[in-house]
Amino acid sequence: MKLEIRNVTKAFNGKVAVDNFSMDVEAGSCVGLIGPNGAGKSSLIKVISNVIDSDGGEVLLDGQIISKMKKRIGYLPQYPNFYDWMTATETLSFMGRLSGLLKQDESRTIPGILAKVGLRGEEDSKVGTFSGGMKQRLGIAQALLHNPSLIVMDEPVSALDPIGRREVLNLIGEIKKETTILLSTHILGDAEEICERFAIMKNGRKIEDATISNLLNRNVKNKLCVRITAKDQKWIAIVKNLPYVKEVEVIGSEVIIQVENIDENKTQVLKNALEHGVDIIKFEMKNDSLEDIFLKLVVMK
Amino acid sequence: MNAFKVLTKKEFLQMLRDNKVIWLPLVFILLGMTQPVVTYYLPSIVKALAGGQGIMVDPNLTALNGGEVLASTLASQFDQLGLMILVISMMGMIQADKADGMLSFILTRPVTASSYIAGKVTSHFLMAATSVAIGYVASTIYANYLFTDVPFSRMIPALFLYLVWVLFIVTFTAMISTIFHGQGVIALISIVFLIGCRITVGLSPILDIINSASLSKHAMTLLITGTISSNIVINLLVTLFWIVLILYVTNYWIANKKFKHV
Repeated sequence: MKLEIRNVTKAFNGKVAVDNFSMDVEAGSCVGLIGPNGAGKSSLIKVISNVIDSDGGEVLLDGQIISKMKKRIGYLPQYPNFYDWMTATETLSFMGRLSGLLKQDESRTIPGILAKVGLRGEEDSKVGTFSGGMKQRLGIAQALLHNPSLIVMDEPVSALDPIGRREVLNLIGEIKKETTILLSTHILGDAEEICERFAIMKNGRKIEDATISNLLNRNVKNKLCVRITAKDQKWIAIVKNLPYVKEVEVIGSEVIIQVENIDENKTQVLKNALEHGVDIIKFEMKNDSLEDIFLKLVVMK
Repeated sequence: MNAFKVLTKKEFLQMLRDNKVIWLPLVFILLGMTQPVVTYYLPSIVKALAGGQGIMVDPNLTALNGGEVLASTLASQFDQLGLMILVISMMGMIQADKADGMLSFILTRPVTASSYIAGKVTSHFLMAATSVAIGYVASTIYANYLFTDVPFSRMIPALFLYLVWVLFIVTFTAMISTIFHGQGVIALISIVFLIGCRITVGLSPILDIINSASLSKHAMTLLITGTISSNIVINLLVTLFWIVLILYVTNYWIANKKFKHV
């Protein structure tokens, strides 16, 4: 399985939503499409799942155009809507049969899937009585049912309360062991928890595409953060004169020290502080969090 | 083929849950009964209500036969109130799926637009045709009982002609339901156009050829006189052409994703 997104462009009434977007997704990975509201995530997801046609570019699954590969894709819309008058089992049977599931396999597959998404006991309840979280889980069940090689999810957790979000996140964590997942979200914590790789979108363009460790490492700034007591303020002047210290910034009782090489210099700074009898409250390497990086990328670029 | 079967089955299940399988035939039974019963009792009704003022139905009026009464069931009941009820019962058939995103969702599955439309039109036509046929049979029974017997050889072909007109009604409503967003607009456009077709029948022979509502008129003529005009073949072919064209437009609209997405 390999998903290739090639130069996809989509505009609505002249307003560009997706602008020349390209990306490859390898089998077995879990990719998060993140970006602020209105970045074009949903439009791109809709092009990938063939809900809308792109104005330019193409989406290929294993080298085949996506509209011919629908059987191999599981799709979860942002607000999965099912027929209220159907029961959970009927809904899965209906969507499953449309996805090419055979009738004789239904009775075997459906109860298992319902149990997996935590809807055991609700088999014969009408979908109209379901809460948002239950509908979302039914939507995931529906996307999994026909064993697709790629699952595309549009904001799977954004509309849920904390409990529903936790349930769905755990479920996604579970299924990502078996399939390739592409999901969009604007909640960074969620993406950080389940995805190994991020594509950050802004104004329809891809502005960053990296794995989480790559992203964090790239933003290591060789900075140390030392919190000291007020009586040791004079040590700051000593630190400033050390040969390997490039810059010192004081924010309240915290001293941010930028050094030449964090790995070598951090022990030297610590030693120096101890030699001068400095009362250290906190001593840490300072890295940008994913949120800092995201904000920097989205706001600055 | 598989998707068509699944979608058709789903439509029937929905009609069952909505109780449409009960109320739609009931409505047509009532409409079918009304014409013969009211026609039969009209002299007594008029006499009871306005007899004191000297108003009455001309007693010298030639007695109607069963075929004429059945023909007026088609013209005065089915083609008026019946048509409106049919359209209103079907106005949401595709519009509802568009509005709640089910159409987009279904189309992300390996389902072609044509099997989706075929499922909708087949199921709704079968429902409408069964209801009309049941109402028509009810009307025939009353006409036979209260007036003269309607010959089988006229009644059955007339029903078939009428059902082709019903098929036109169903496909036309499906197309309007695909193209427009609001249920009110869909009902208004469909009813005005279809009743307009029915009213203009007989105004001009040229217009009659391209007007599918002529089939209803042919069915009536067959019931009253027992003869079929030679125009019928052309009318059937033209109606068939319209139906194919309507289905093509509907398919084009859905396959090219012209409908509004949610």
